[in-house]
Amino acid sequence: MNQLRAELLKIRSTRTSIGLLAGLVVIALLFTILTGTLSPKVGLVTAQDQLSLLSFGSIAGVFAALAGIMLVTSEYRFGTIRPTFLFTPSRDRLLMTKIVAGALSGLVFGVLGEGLVFGLGATIMRLRGVHLIMTGSAVTQLLVGAIVGSALWGVIGVALGSIVVNQVGAVISLLAWGFVVENLVFGFLPKIGRFLPIHAADAMMGRIQPSMLAGDVGALVVVGWCAVLALVGVVMLQRRDVN
Amino acid sequence: MPDFVRTTRPIIAQVPGRAGLHSTCYRVKGVRVPIVVESANLTKRYGRVLAVDDFSFSIEAGTITGFLGPNGAGKSTTLRMLLGLAQPTSGHATVFGHPYGELDEPASRVGAVLEATDFHPGRSGRDHLLMLSRAVGIPDARVDTVLELVELTDAAKRRVKGYSLGMRQRLGLAASLLGDPDLLVLDEPANGLDPEGVRWLRDFLRDFASGGKTVLISSHVLAEVAQTVDRVLIINHGRLVTESTLEDLTARVTGVVRVRSPELDRLEAALRHEGLVTSRRNDHALAVEGATSERVGDVAFAAGIAIHELTTEGSSLEEVFLELTAAEPA
Repeated sequence: MNQLRAELLKIRSTRTSIGLLAGLVVIALLFTILTGTLSPKVGLVTAQDQLSLLSFGSIAGVFAALAGIMLVTSEYRFGTIRPTFLFTPSRDRLLMTKIVAGALSGLVFGVLGEGLVFGLGATIMRLRGVHLIMTGSAVTQLLVGAIVGSALWGVIGVALGSIVVNQVGAVISLLAWGFVVENLVFGFLPKIGRFLPIHAADAMMGRIQPSMLAGDVGALVVVGWCAVLALVGVVMLQRRDVN
Repeated sequence: MPDFVRTTRPIIAQVPGRAGLHSTCYRVKGVRVPIVVESANLTKRYGRVLAVDDFSFSIEAGTITGFLGPNGAGKSTTLRMLLGLAQPTSGHATVFGHPYGELDEPASRVGAVLEATDFHPGRSGRDHLLMLSRAVGIPDARVDTVLELVELTDAAKRRVKGYSLGMRQRLGLAASLLGDPDLLVLDEPANGLDPEGVRWLRDFLRDFASGGKTVLISSHVLAEVAQTVDRVLIINHGRLVTESTLEDLTARVTGVVRVRSPELDRLEAALRHEGLVTSRRNDHALAVEGATSERVGDVAFAAGIAIHELTTEGSSLEEVFLELTAAEPA
């Protein structure tokens, strides 16, 4: 618990997280306002269309993952990893704490991002006289899926940061994976691609394309990715000397 | 060389309670003195480079030890292995009888500063300390205490970005003191400090050690620590070159002593009687080899011979150090 307080202070005490939060808010607002007001009404009437507008808040996952990466890589970049390890020599315990902190910060990103997009998007639709036809359970799955998904992306970020401790390297790995690798794999080999984290996370909040996993399976798969990456991360963290 | 002539602090008989629990002890003048730091056959290999080679040493409680060697000699690697940041290739190192990682509350036993720059530039000095202290349950009030101790209270809420190097050094020191440790490990703490900062550090360390606590301080310049340390460990090419008290090291300062006297013949005879090798410089001066100026002066005094000049030529303590560390590995 003490350890967690310390990790949360690390997140709060620099401007990095504020910057990431601000970035998320700007992007969420821009997308929702532009898409919500500029799309023709016919483009907003099906449940699928509404979902694709209202689920944009899941972009919070990207920011949550970046924040998670920072939680580990900033320590290596600025050398605070030395005093951190001196105070907490147990590296597995430290990583577990960072994972919890990453999940909590991801939760904040998720609530803010998806809350903002859903609230604003639904309001714009109402003002334009478009009825929300998504079922109650679909809405619940979207909100819970996007927010929990963002928390899990925070975990993935922490794990990725402890595998690739170089900050630039870790950020590039994340972006390359998100924008290139996973889309290519899903495009060519959907049977494999649907088990990859972004597509599984999409399934988890009900944003399902053909050949994707069911929502509950998707959730399990994302949790599985968290566990595997965290395990690799802890092994790497323990084996790597600090200079 | 009056700078280096100093009395050694008496070895502390009362050992801090916690230190004695699991430590190895040995006897000095009938007093059990716990070994605070110990390494046995410590070795670190990076690829084909042996950074630390079969390095064994021990440090007893209540001493200030200078860990000396040129840059790249293996000092930092040794300290990192000692503190659990790097894994030895073979051998082991312990603090208070345990590998660092197995200490119950390491921050309350050992304080260490390895780099002067280990701060997030955008974080305030106070937050830097809080993120460390909170992790191990040290009360926040202690943060303000150590800030005051290193004279950073006024700058505490400013971001580290705006700190001078000296302020960063002191912030690092403050972090190492959070847990009120019994052992302080400092890697090149005087690097980049101005003379005033060096003096501040020296006074601080003396004060710290005067309570029976232990200090291990590394440097690549003997002069930086010569006024502070009791003992020296000299490392070169990853190997232990010398382990001695500062006094023994000073005793190796033996250049040629030039002595001028009106009674040169008598003086020469007296010195030769003591087994010293002398040679005439001219009608008024003698060169005495392999002796200290103290020795020559004492001999002359004992013989009742007036001396008009007494000068040490040749090696200084720093030169002895350079000589010891210049040798290529066998």
